[in-house]
Amino acid sequence: MDRRPFATTTHWLRLGGLCALALGIAVLDTFTDREIAIGVFQVVVVLLAAGFLSTRGVTVTALGCALLVLCSYVATRTGDRDAGLVNCIISLLAIVAVAALSLRLDAAKRAADAARTRLIQAGRLSQLGELAASIAHEVNQPLTAIAASGNACQRWLSNQPPQVERAVQAAQRVIDDAHRASAVIARVRSLVRQAQVAKDWLNVADTVEKVLDFVRAELAQRQVAVEVRLQEGLPPLLADESQLQQVILNLLLNALDALEGVPPEQRRLVIQVGQDTAGAIRLGVEDSGRGLTPAARERMFEAFYTTKEQGMGLGLALSRSIVEAHGGRIWATALPEGGTGVYCSLPKDQQP
Amino acid sequence: MTDQTPPALVHLVDDDASVRAAVEDLLASVGLSTRSYVSAADFLDRAHLDEPGCLVLDVRMPGMNGLDLQQALQRRGLALPIIFITGHGDIPMSVRAMKQGALEFLTKPFRDQDLLDAIDQALRRAHEAHAQRQQLQDLQARLDTLNEGERAVLARVVTGLLNKQIAAQLGVSEITVKVRRAALMRKLQAGSLAELVKMMERLEALRS
Repeated sequence: MDRRPFATTTHWLRLGGLCALALGIAVLDTFTDREIAIGVFQVVVVLLAAGFLSTRGVTVTALGCALLVLCSYVATRTGDRDAGLVNCIISLLAIVAVAALSLRLDAAKRAADAARTRLIQAGRLSQLGELAASIAHEVNQPLTAIAASGNACQRWLSNQPPQVERAVQAAQRVIDDAHRASAVIARVRSLVRQAQVAKDWLNVADTVEKVLDFVRAELAQRQVAVEVRLQEGLPPLLADESQLQQVILNLLLNALDALEGVPPEQRRLVIQVGQDTAGAIRLGVEDSGRGLTPAARERMFEAFYTTKEQGMGLGLALSRSIVEAHGGRIWATALPEGGTGVYCSLPKDQQP
Repeated sequence: MTDQTPPALVHLVDDDASVRAAVEDLLASVGLSTRSYVSAADFLDRAHLDEPGCLVLDVRMPGMNGLDLQQALQRRGLALPIIFITGHGDIPMSVRAMKQGALEFLTKPFRDQDLLDAIDQALRRAHEAHAQRQQLQDLQARLDTLNEGERAVLARVVTGLLNKQIAAQLGVSEITVKVRRAALMRKLQAGSLAELVKMMERLEALRS
């Protein structure tokens, strides 16, 4: 079942409409002759239910409809009894067939959704993996040269007689290569900054919704209840939407991983979007996981730091770069009820 | 450590200029001379492999990579001891390199002593191979000075035939066999029959 609070009102309205329709058909079926198979229209109820209810909900609806068809068959007083029986059986078969088909369709759709989510995640991971490998190679070359030049320097000095001039040359190379390594890192940093040319005025709430659509299947599969707390009347924010999506996605996926091993009924995720006293947009993702050790919380934004077996340790580091490139900041706190909250604030007066 | 070793050349192939400069200098600081190449193709073009030497080879390079160069050298019958250095020394790659006869597989950044030890071992191996090649050439040169008759006698002497039997087989006098035998012993610088047999065995072994 859909457990998002802001959707509950619509949800109950739909459910009421559905019941009214089913009862209406049943009443009509009862007061018409047995030959007229009004009951078969209960399939419409089942089809509508399949549109927004879970597997269990659809099954219950189909059973309810079947029961109504049986009741109206018994209650109907006029018309041919045999024809009525045949019509009743046809209606029942139709309801069962429609319910079974729509449930299978739903399962197929869910499998496709899950596959899509996995694909997105895999693509993201392999991209990060390639990035990490190439950064590692680029930094490792000057480090190799630094180590070798340092060794050479030592050996020139310990030769008899010491060859000071050669040692000085080697030391100079150490310095040059250290600068080169640092330049590689500066290039990686500017990669993140360069990518922010696509800044636009956007509604953070919409961005959050888009990301949620992305991971909806994953959330359902992992049986995580999500609560979205949106403050009304948020001002637009000047930001790169795809980068902001990446930040939110990273925070959500991390929160999901934190909920691994928590009993399903306790898996809760709260997404907050609001404004702080300074007017900055504040975005938070809180999970009900086991929480992080203070040491892990201190290092979690460092590149290549990870507590996960399969983790690369890049998600939060990249998120921090993105948030800082937008003039904001990102931090994490331990929640009093256990779990971790990760927040970022983005100043509203972001100008290009 | 290199005082007693005869001159030898370390060939260094790495696409990174800093790494080349640093490794070259490190080797220079212990008295080794190095020749550097920017790529595998550069090495195949310019390297002179007449004198004994070894190859310090980067695995990850644009164009032909280190493992490809190793194979190319093998196809050309150039048995140069190879020490691989790699930035991302993953296991399958090092296994492949070692299976193809690499001497050592070092991960960047490497400890200088590891590299120097590997080079030391590689050069010792190169010198051995070089000395063997030299011996083979010398012996071949000496063999070439023998004339037809002496060669025929040599082939039979080493199988253990007596002068009389050789004379009968060749249809010459026993005196002639004795004279040719003395001449070939002198030309091949063999002191005794045992030494001659050993010499020919070694030649056989080196040729194969």
